[in-house]
Amino acid sequence: MKWIYQDVQNYTHAKEYIDTAIMPLIPYSFEEDDDMRKLAFQNEVMVIFMTQIEKQLKGRVFLLPVYNYLKQNTLDMESNRLQETIDHIQKQPFEHVFLFTFDKKWRKYGTSLNAELIWLPAPKEGDLNQVDKQQLVQSQIGDIEELIKEQWNEES
Amino acid sequence: MSEKKNNQVSRRQFLNYTLTGVGGFMGAAMIAPMVGMAVDPLLKADSSGDFIYVMDVDEITEEPQRKSFSIEQQDGWYESEAERTAWIFRDENGDILALSPICTHLGCVVDWETGNQDNEFFCPCHNGRYDSKGVNIPGTPPTEPLHAYEYRVEDGRLYLGRANPRGGA
Repeated sequence: MKWIYQDVQNYTHAKEYIDTAIMPLIPYSFEEDDDMRKLAFQNEVMVIFMTQIEKQLKGRVFLLPVYNYLKQNTLDMESNRLQETIDHIQKQPFEHVFLFTFDKKWRKYGTSLNAELIWLPAPKEGDLNQVDKQQLVQSQIGDIEELIKEQWNEES
Repeated sequence: MSEKKNNQVSRRQFLNYTLTGVGGFMGAAMIAPMVGMAVDPLLKADSSGDFIYVMDVDEITEEPQRKSFSIEQQDGWYESEAERTAWIFRDENGDILALSPICTHLGCVVDWETGNQDNEFFCPCHNGRYDSKGVNIPGTPPTEPLHAYEYRVEDGRLYLGRANPRGGA
């Protein structure tokens, strides 16, 4: 399910089945040109990951709006805001909350956040239309899907 | 005399009428195409007549094969190329079936034989099950069989249209 009218309508009628929320953590910055390119590319890849996962697992996964933040912000501050967001979402309730990010800095916060933080290695910049890049992205999507399913199976 | 004058159209009136008329036509000529363009996507939202080549008929087996194809999708204002997937196989009577992989419960993507049962379609989200012909198995969450694509066979080539509900179970 996505944050759009039709899906939210479906969600409100089938909450008991949609027990998993996924949210990408995506930094941005306009400080340095190289950084901008890199972050924009990572944003693109992350959005593809999330939309594909949502498509495969639509009936049980809710894709939350992106959590955007300035790359320059300290994560001590950011993690507080993030935890508030998670607390808010879990009231629904969502039993499983997954956060996905390419930002290494979050790894330290994995244990203190009340959610499953998945850090993914950032793919190298390049043309996303190239076949090898697409294959790489596709296989990573498969891995993420497995990861979510494993989590589901652990509970049952 | 004055009565006669009343029936006559004065020069000023005549000019007024003609200019309004001509101006109206010109205005309409300019605006009509714009309105047309704006409304157009809504008028032809449904392109059900399109059939897309997917595979050759002699490649179809009794074991479901997964095939992807792309269609031009028109969704209100947006036009885009959308990827579709079908599970294609022959049933025991030799009839061709092309099933949509979208679970009829809440829309996850089902897979062939990935659950604990052989010869079944399986949905990973809530363990929904469908038999070898894509009919939902009672007691699992799906409420109707997997939708089936309309198909056409021409010169040994299989073309798929859109997926429709089949009713049943």
